[in-house]
Amino acid sequence: MKFRCERDVLVEALGAAGRAVANRGGALPVLSGVRAELEGDRLRLTGSDLELTIAVDITVAGSADGLAVLPSRVATDVVRSLDSGSVEVSVEGDEAHITSGRFQSAIRVLPADEFPRLAQPTDDAVTLAAADFAEALHQVVPAASADDARPILTGVLMAAEGHGLRLVATDSYRLAVRDLPGASILREGQSVLVPSRALRELERLLGGAAEVTLRLGEREATFEVGGVRLTTRLIEGEFPNYRGLIPVSHPNRLTVGREALAEAVRRVKLMAREPNTPVRLGMSSDGLELIAITQDVGQAHEQLDADYAGTELTVAFNPDYLLNGVEVTPGDEIVLDTVDAQKPAVIRANGGNEFLYLLMPVRVS
Amino acid sequence: MTVAPRAEAPEPSILHVDMDAFFVSVELLRRPELRGHPVVVGGTGDRGVVAAASYEARAYGIHSAMPSTRARRQCPHAVFLPGDHAHYGEVSARVMEIFRSYTPLVEPISLDEAFLDVRAARRLHGSGVEIAHELRQQVADHEGLTCSVGVAPVKFLAKLASEAAKPHASLEGTRAGHGVVVIEVGHELAFLHPLPVQALWGVGPATLTRLERLGVRTVGDLAEMPLDTVIGTLGAASGRHLHALAHGIDPRAVVPDQAPKSIGHEETFARDHHHAADLQRELLRMADAVASRLRRHHLAGRTVTLKVRFGDFRTITRSSTLPGPVDSSNTIGRAARTLLDGVDPAPGVRLLGVSVSQLVDGGTRQLRLDEADGPDWDGAEQAVDAIRARFGASAVVPAALAGPDGIRVKRRGDQQWGPDDRASGPTRPAD
Repeated sequence: MKFRCERDVLVEALGAAGRAVANRGGALPVLSGVRAELEGDRLRLTGSDLELTIAVDITVAGSADGLAVLPSRVATDVVRSLDSGSVEVSVEGDEAHITSGRFQSAIRVLPADEFPRLAQPTDDAVTLAAADFAEALHQVVPAASADDARPILTGVLMAAEGHGLRLVATDSYRLAVRDLPGASILREGQSVLVPSRALRELERLLGGAAEVTLRLGEREATFEVGGVRLTTRLIEGEFPNYRGLIPVSHPNRLTVGREALAEAVRRVKLMAREPNTPVRLGMSSDGLELIAITQDVGQAHEQLDADYAGTELTVAFNPDYLLNGVEVTPGDEIVLDTVDAQKPAVIRANGGNEFLYLLMPVRVS
Repeated sequence: MTVAPRAEAPEPSILHVDMDAFFVSVELLRRPELRGHPVVVGGTGDRGVVAAASYEARAYGIHSAMPSTRARRQCPHAVFLPGDHAHYGEVSARVMEIFRSYTPLVEPISLDEAFLDVRAARRLHGSGVEIAHELRQQVADHEGLTCSVGVAPVKFLAKLASEAAKPHASLEGTRAGHGVVVIEVGHELAFLHPLPVQALWGVGPATLTRLERLGVRTVGDLAEMPLDTVIGTLGAASGRHLHALAHGIDPRAVVPDQAPKSIGHEETFARDHHHAADLQRELLRMADAVASRLRRHHLAGRTVTLKVRFGDFRTITRSSTLPGPVDSSNTIGRAARTLLDGVDPAPGVRLLGVSVSQLVDGGTRQLRLDEADGPDWDGAEQAVDAIRARFGASAVVPAALAGPDGIRVKRRGDQQWGPDDRASGPTRPAD
């Protein structure tokens, strides 16, 4: 195998594929490497930890086809250290030579025949606007749980809903639901559970892209953005029945400017210093008052203009969860629907119904 | 010739207060007719252990942690009383309050022992020695109990001094102790060096054997050994620590009342349990008690730990960390039950324990979405707490704990020293 290409192109490709490379390879040492396959002028770089696989295609000046697994960390560090310009990579025997200008290096490669075979996706493909899908991920993925003790909640549910696609995530304290109407990708009633880790990686790849192609299979989901293909194993299991959690009636409705609320929460939460300290929202016909108090530290409150219909009520929330929801809700105004201080509250865009953020209060006694 | 201005002479200001035969003395207040008799408090059943012995009983060689059956053999005419940990706790809290009226720096070691740092209290209350005498008088006047006080410049010497102040038991009768023993600044080594080396904190049987091999018998012997030799024999940490103690050096400060790191219950059963169903019932009872105590202290915790000791004393612990802090019987019981499901009870389970750690302020709690629907457990448990506060711990219990003969609840320290005779039946009278 032998090719020549631009240092910047190769750095970016190695970096993207490297994000799926297992730390130290785990059980399979070859997985600490990036698989490089050259056919003509097309170089495909693949990193995988068996759960997540990222393959990047770039165009290079090829002079000899071949296949090798380069140790990801070393190869990436070496190429990144080079000045911009042309880099030559050639593999002979068990050494890869990376050469640029007067710099030469020889790196021991990993056994290519041990690299697991990765299946080609065969499922039906649907192409969506990258910006819409990126926005949906930005709204939903943060609500997924980071706690591996409950693997189901670390996933994002993608389900057929009406004539579109619905994304749902919850960490059991809040729930985010986003509809992408018209994106009919799954059969009615079909759903998949995609690891949020894979979707975070996908979000990084979507920036600046025009389109994303989705293939949702039985065991794997594949996303293609430009020359990058991301494949992830799906999470098996039953996602909680989230529909039953969304309150059907809302006796109390607050309507408030989104940015004003977000800024006020950011300021007031500075006085919620302990992990469990909430921000209290006092809602009345006078508007909205935010209060945070930490014993022996201090307190802050701020009054906001807001429309409120309902009985006078104070509800306490984890300030970060509240802020997350407010920040990702679209539009200039949001509505906050509440039942009482113990029941889930719902945040939506005023007049919009494509995104919903459900949030459990903090009990204060 | 110039004379340096005389600094105020340093005075010993660390106190170690140790209640005399605390559990027994508290019992004797309720049963004065037993005064002067050998009295033992602890598990009264076959598998119980002695929690405390009166000085009259100690004269027969009975000491705490001894199996109750052996204590009975050694002194068949002793009166055996089941422990009432809740009551001792109440008395202890009142005694600690008396200590705190002299200084906020009170470090309770157990229900019947505490260190006090009275350095800052001297202007108000007099010297450490004066405070020691006054404390004893206050405890006697208010609670009818005696205690022994050691006064010294550092903690471990204060503890040795209180030991020296204790009453002494023999078959001829109990000899009253000094009540207060003081180790003055500058006299530490004179007091310390003649003592046998096992008087030092941290010298157990294994360490003692190693030191004896070096010819060390007294604390003075240890102090004379080069530090390197001691480290070579006992390891760096332990060697350095003991060598410093032998020179009367103990940098540990008196640390007032720390917040608990975990809250739990454990219980030794009258008979080994072989059936999962029996253990599940016991577990529910303990989880209920732990949850109740968490809520009383406004705490909640994330990690639930199950402890299982088998008939052959093999002991295992299993824990699980929950997504968020909990304080409800229901969730703690469920988590403990899941852990118990992974344990095979067939060899026979002698002891079961449930504890909750990683504690946070439970007054505020992030609610979970799956709590929004379904029964209002928070409301139910608040109601349970209110009922118990008014009518006692056994006024209301989970239905699974009610049997045809009545109900049993777990109280703190209940049968911690092994089951009582009467505990073989399922009924416990309410307080």
